[in-house]
Amino acid sequence: MTWEMPEKWARAGAPPSWSSKKPSWGTEEERRARANDREYNEKFQYASNCIKTSKYNILTFLPVNLFEQFQEVANTYFLFLLILQLIPQVSSLSWFTTIVPLVLVLAITAVKDATDDYFRHKSDNQVNNRQSQVLINGSLQQEQWMNVCVGDIIKLENNQFVAVREGHCPSRETNMKVRQAIPVTSELGDISRLAKFDGEVVCEPPNNKLDRFSGTLYWKESKFPLSNQNTLLRGCVLRNTEWCFGLVVFAGPDTKLMQNSGRTKFKRTSIDRLMNTLVLWIFGFLVCMGVILAIGNAIWEHEVGTRFQAYLPWDEAVDSAFFSGFLSFWSYIIILNTVVPISLYVSVEVIRLGHSYFINWDKKMFCVKRRTPAEARTTTLNEELGQVEYVFSDKTGTLTQNIMVFNKCSISGRSYGDVFDVLGHKAELGERPEPVDFSFNPLADKKFLFWDPTLLEAVKMGDPHTHEFFRLLSLCHTVMSEEKNEGELYYKAQSPDEGALVTAARNFGFVFRSRTPKTITVYEMGIAVTYQLLAILDFNNIRKRMSVIVRNPEGRIRLYCKGADTILLDRLHPSTQELLSTTTDHLNEYAGEGLRTLVLAYKDLDEEYYGEWAQRRLQASLAQDSREDRLASVYEEVESDMVLLGATAIEDKLQQGVPETIALLTLANIKIWVLTGDKQETAVNIGYSCKMLTDDMTEVFVVTGHTVLEVREELRAHGCISPSQENGALSGSVFQAHALEADMELEFLETACACKAVICCRVTPLQKAQVVELVKKHKKAVTLAIGDGANDVSMIKTAHIGVGISGQEGIQAVLASDYSFSQFKFLQRLLLVHGRWSYLRMCKFLCYFFYKNFAFTMVHFWFGFFCGFSAQVGHPQPLLACVRDGLCPCMEYPKLYEPGQLNLLFNKREFFICIAQGIYTSVLMFFIPYGVFAEATRDDGTQLADYQSFAVTVATSLVIVVSVSGWTPATGHFFIWGSLAVYFAILFAMHSNGLFGMFPNQFRFVGESLWLLRELGR
Amino acid sequence: MKRTSEDGQSKLPDNTALKQQQLPAYRLQLSATGVLSCFFATGVFCLGMGIILILSAKSIKEIEIKYTKICGNCAKLREDATNFDKECTCSIPFYLSETMQGNVYMYYKLYGFYQNLYRYILSRSNSQLVGTDLKDVGNCAPFSKSHDGTPIAPCGAIANSIFNDTIILSYKLNSSIPIKVPMLRSGITWWTDKYVKFQNPSSINLSSAFAGTTKPPCWAKPVYELDGEDPGNNGFLNDDFIVWMRTAAFPTFKKLYRRLNRIQYFIEGLPAGNYSFNITYNFPVTRFKGEKSVVLSTLTWSGGSSLFLGLVYTVTGAVTWLASFSMMAVHLTLKDRKVLFIQQ
Repeated sequence: MTWEMPEKWARAGAPPSWSSKKPSWGTEEERRARANDREYNEKFQYASNCIKTSKYNILTFLPVNLFEQFQEVANTYFLFLLILQLIPQVSSLSWFTTIVPLVLVLAITAVKDATDDYFRHKSDNQVNNRQSQVLINGSLQQEQWMNVCVGDIIKLENNQFVAVREGHCPSRETNMKVRQAIPVTSELGDISRLAKFDGEVVCEPPNNKLDRFSGTLYWKESKFPLSNQNTLLRGCVLRNTEWCFGLVVFAGPDTKLMQNSGRTKFKRTSIDRLMNTLVLWIFGFLVCMGVILAIGNAIWEHEVGTRFQAYLPWDEAVDSAFFSGFLSFWSYIIILNTVVPISLYVSVEVIRLGHSYFINWDKKMFCVKRRTPAEARTTTLNEELGQVEYVFSDKTGTLTQNIMVFNKCSISGRSYGDVFDVLGHKAELGERPEPVDFSFNPLADKKFLFWDPTLLEAVKMGDPHTHEFFRLLSLCHTVMSEEKNEGELYYKAQSPDEGALVTAARNFGFVFRSRTPKTITVYEMGIAVTYQLLAILDFNNIRKRMSVIVRNPEGRIRLYCKGADTILLDRLHPSTQELLSTTTDHLNEYAGEGLRTLVLAYKDLDEEYYGEWAQRRLQASLAQDSREDRLASVYEEVESDMVLLGATAIEDKLQQGVPETIALLTLANIKIWVLTGDKQETAVNIGYSCKMLTDDMTEVFVVTGHTVLEVREELRAHGCISPSQENGALSGSVFQAHALEADMELEFLETACACKAVICCRVTPLQKAQVVELVKKHKKAVTLAIGDGANDVSMIKTAHIGVGISGQEGIQAVLASDYSFSQFKFLQRLLLVHGRWSYLRMCKFLCYFFYKNFAFTMVHFWFGFFCGFSAQVGHPQPLLACVRDGLCPCMEYPKLYEPGQLNLLFNKREFFICIAQGIYTSVLMFFIPYGVFAEATRDDGTQLADYQSFAVTVATSLVIVVSVSGWTPATGHFFIWGSLAVYFAILFAMHSNGLFGMFPNQFRFVGESLWLLRELGR
Repeated sequence: MKRTSEDGQSKLPDNTALKQQQLPAYRLQLSATGVLSCFFATGVFCLGMGIILILSAKSIKEIEIKYTKICGNCAKLREDATNFDKECTCSIPFYLSETMQGNVYMYYKLYGFYQNLYRYILSRSNSQLVGTDLKDVGNCAPFSKSHDGTPIAPCGAIANSIFNDTIILSYKLNSSIPIKVPMLRSGITWWTDKYVKFQNPSSINLSSAFAGTTKPPCWAKPVYELDGEDPGNNGFLNDDFIVWMRTAAFPTFKKLYRRLNRIQYFIEGLPAGNYSFNITYNFPVTRFKGEKSVVLSTLTWSGGSSLFLGLVYTVTGAVTWLASFSMMAVHLTLKDRKVLFIQQ
């Protein structure tokens, strides 16, 4: 039985909030659930299966949402300003200049939250109202999911979602996991017996560990252990069985799916951090300006203001020049607040969100085959994509497709699988002849292709070696078969290698048909042969081989073994020396082509020996201590003196476009490190085939040392030789362990960074993360990790940017990632196009934003010196729209990526340049109008230097200058002229006679714009 | 972000220019000749404008007479607010050496008077001034109501502080009998001010229209008696009042007071000769260390502009030219190398 990780998990990002009626998880020490006894279970008040991921309802929405929003610094800052403005002595701008943006921001966020929550309500309802069959009062009844309780027995059918978490259950990977019921429950086959089942499960409290479960079933006065093997998780799909019954142990929010769904990790970009510092600086600058102007005000009030009181007495609340200065400090904080760009955060988020959508929308990152678009799962990291220096890549499934294809084989000294054209030359790609015709075999897999007809001929001729070769492939594996209709065979393999081998055997006439725990049935050239399966000597990483011992219908016992060449070639019978050397040649040839190789061998066992061996094996498996070691030595004993049959070569196809992508990224000065669990030879081959390693690299340096000292020696030696930048580094398995744990971190890093390409093989998931951490820590560079499997999760989470390949190996990597797409080649587009654009746009935006704010705000500052520091504004606040640009992609010119890596476009220096420009603009924009206006009159002699004309002129010239200086090519025109047009439209509207007629006290500037137009027209 | 959909094809992103970031882009292809000619043209324009503006500013005839010190007695008298009902006049003779051709405008100019203070600018009631609601004095603090609670019309600090000196220019034709130079007190306001922003409340006559309100504390006469000679120039529509109400941007400012009525001797303008200003000194400035002056000035086509704008244009033009010359030098020296680069 199988369950499948559901795609639903992908959207489990929203943190759920539960109503707090149930006991908190912290206090629950163990969980008890008795089958068919609701009253008993209700005592514990376990959470019901009704899930609630939504945050609000209609009544609570407004207060709760507002409360949440005011926890944001920006919003609180706005609120603070608003409160300041409500104090009449301080208020220097009309209150709506603050409330309008505040309400706008709050409203937009609220609408977004509301929509999100609406969808959550909808999906909650959908989930809660799903039907499931519950055993109530001795009969199965349809019940909604939300009404399922802990302790209920529910029936699940094939392809159904699991409603809750369940206990013991009959049940089975690439996302499929084998799950089995504990044997004692198998007698409860029918409803009536189940209804009487009164076992009680005592188990651990709810937690979020997906791969662990421990509990005990108390039934009929005995205890049965329950483990992860016996449970089904919520959100999974049942496969490979018609039905199963299960006891609900965790429901609703207690289920592991829900316990895992609160995953929110927060990564910040370097620009974010820089921005925070700059905002603090600017805030300090604002306070300084406020203080200067406040002191100015106090002095002015003391020197001039007191005498001016006949015309303008002080406000009642003001009793001294000092106090007036104090108030004017706050007034100026309000006026000059635009210099602290709190709206910056909102704008930056909006821009990033936009870029995330561009990534999602990109057709060129859409995988047609899998129908998956690229997805920006995090919206806050986009510009960092333009600064990546190190890419850490997994190999299998990331660089390669993880689709294994049986490509070549060597059978008793003869190699098959090379493609020859008609003339007998090795054929090049693209001019392949027709593939071999397998039509003689009705059970053949149509998708299997093989180009060398000689192998099939050998099979048809009845060559005994060849037959034995394929027989081994059809027997020695752990594949499960499924036959929906007669002749329609599906294999479920735990590793794609195995699947490829069994499929090859199938097509060459040795069809693995079915298996029971004791037998394996194979159709050999159309004849059913049932082998008795005596023992499986399973695969593990130390043994690197697996064997089966079978008895054929004639009664002969034979051991079939397949495994890694390094291991297996040492265990062969000495008589096969000659065959061994030819096979080794073939193996080297295959490995040189980047193929994954396995060696096959067999051994005949006589009845007596086997009986004795089986006895020893049994003893070993019952041993209390060091069971593993004992078994291993028993296995080792039988797997010796074997007869070599041949070798297989499986191609792990490179994904499309991988070499090109790597070449391009290398040109863009991005260093690519491949971290793989594979062995060194395979890794080197993949390195060559994806052009990471090239022939013009003067030396490929492999660290082979086994002890700390040796490794240190090697690193030192190469540390001196290799600044030439022209070599690739490879690190071996033992080396890795030493290099990372000992104090050699730095030496390793230096050597590795001096190399053009680095491949680390035999690394564990943890070591992958350590390598990333090492570079992150010492190189201060932006790192990106890309991978597809669960073993890459730690690396993806550690790196600045994690990219998940949504492919063959489940979705854990995608869930942990910030960006996901389905092919490695999309990385070039993500980095060189989206990354660079995001970075450029963000930098331009920030520079422009600071420039604009300073230009606009400093004018108020200058005007302060001319208006007795009375917090009068230099110009009315204009509205300014700003979204623009259009850039050429840097796919054609990868070098263009470098400014991002060096962080050239926005740093403290750039910031000060922008600020200086802004201040310069404000000086020009204030003092030129001042010089002109001070003495000027209109041509009819009437006064020109009035406050309103001056303010409108300054504002307009600022808008024009600032808009035009923000000019970028492309759509820029549209937005510049657009924003200017909007500005003038608003200006005319606000200053029109009509509005003045309606609200004479608000719209005081009547007539200004017409005058302005007239003046401009001259 | 995207919700899972049953139909895989629907996940295919739309092929629109916006979503694929392929909106038409236009990148300026700047050529050296283009940029250089552009710079030259700008330089020529700026220099031309600058020279024209400087010449026209030079052609303006202007005389300014500061009379705070000259009328020191009056200034001292006005420093004490209790003397508000004592009249003080002061005569300032001067000699005009050149004829002032064309239209001549008379301004009063104040130094150190802050019409741009935040609370000062707000202290007015536009709805009152436009005649719709005489009693609306909400924004006028601290001059909204008199002690007995009657609303002030016109209310507010701006109106209260109106410039109330009377300046009369006389011309001594034959060094004996001075004749009063004819001056127009109309046409000195902005059109929108006079016809949109300021209206008298409608009633049979002005005094009844303003019934129920009181004059600002500093004023000698109520608003409907501002102009004794011209009954149409009273109430909120009084030109001097409107001019004053248009607040100045800087603490030093001049406001138009009168225009020369070009009749009799003055058809050509103000002829050279002996003149004198007869000033009724009412407006105290020494209290806040301010100064007053009276200005006579002619205008040109560009209004009464100073040299500043012309200078700015000239300097900009000069800098642009300098820049374009240096760019041209760079361009010419690098020209050969650039050609090679393109061919590569």
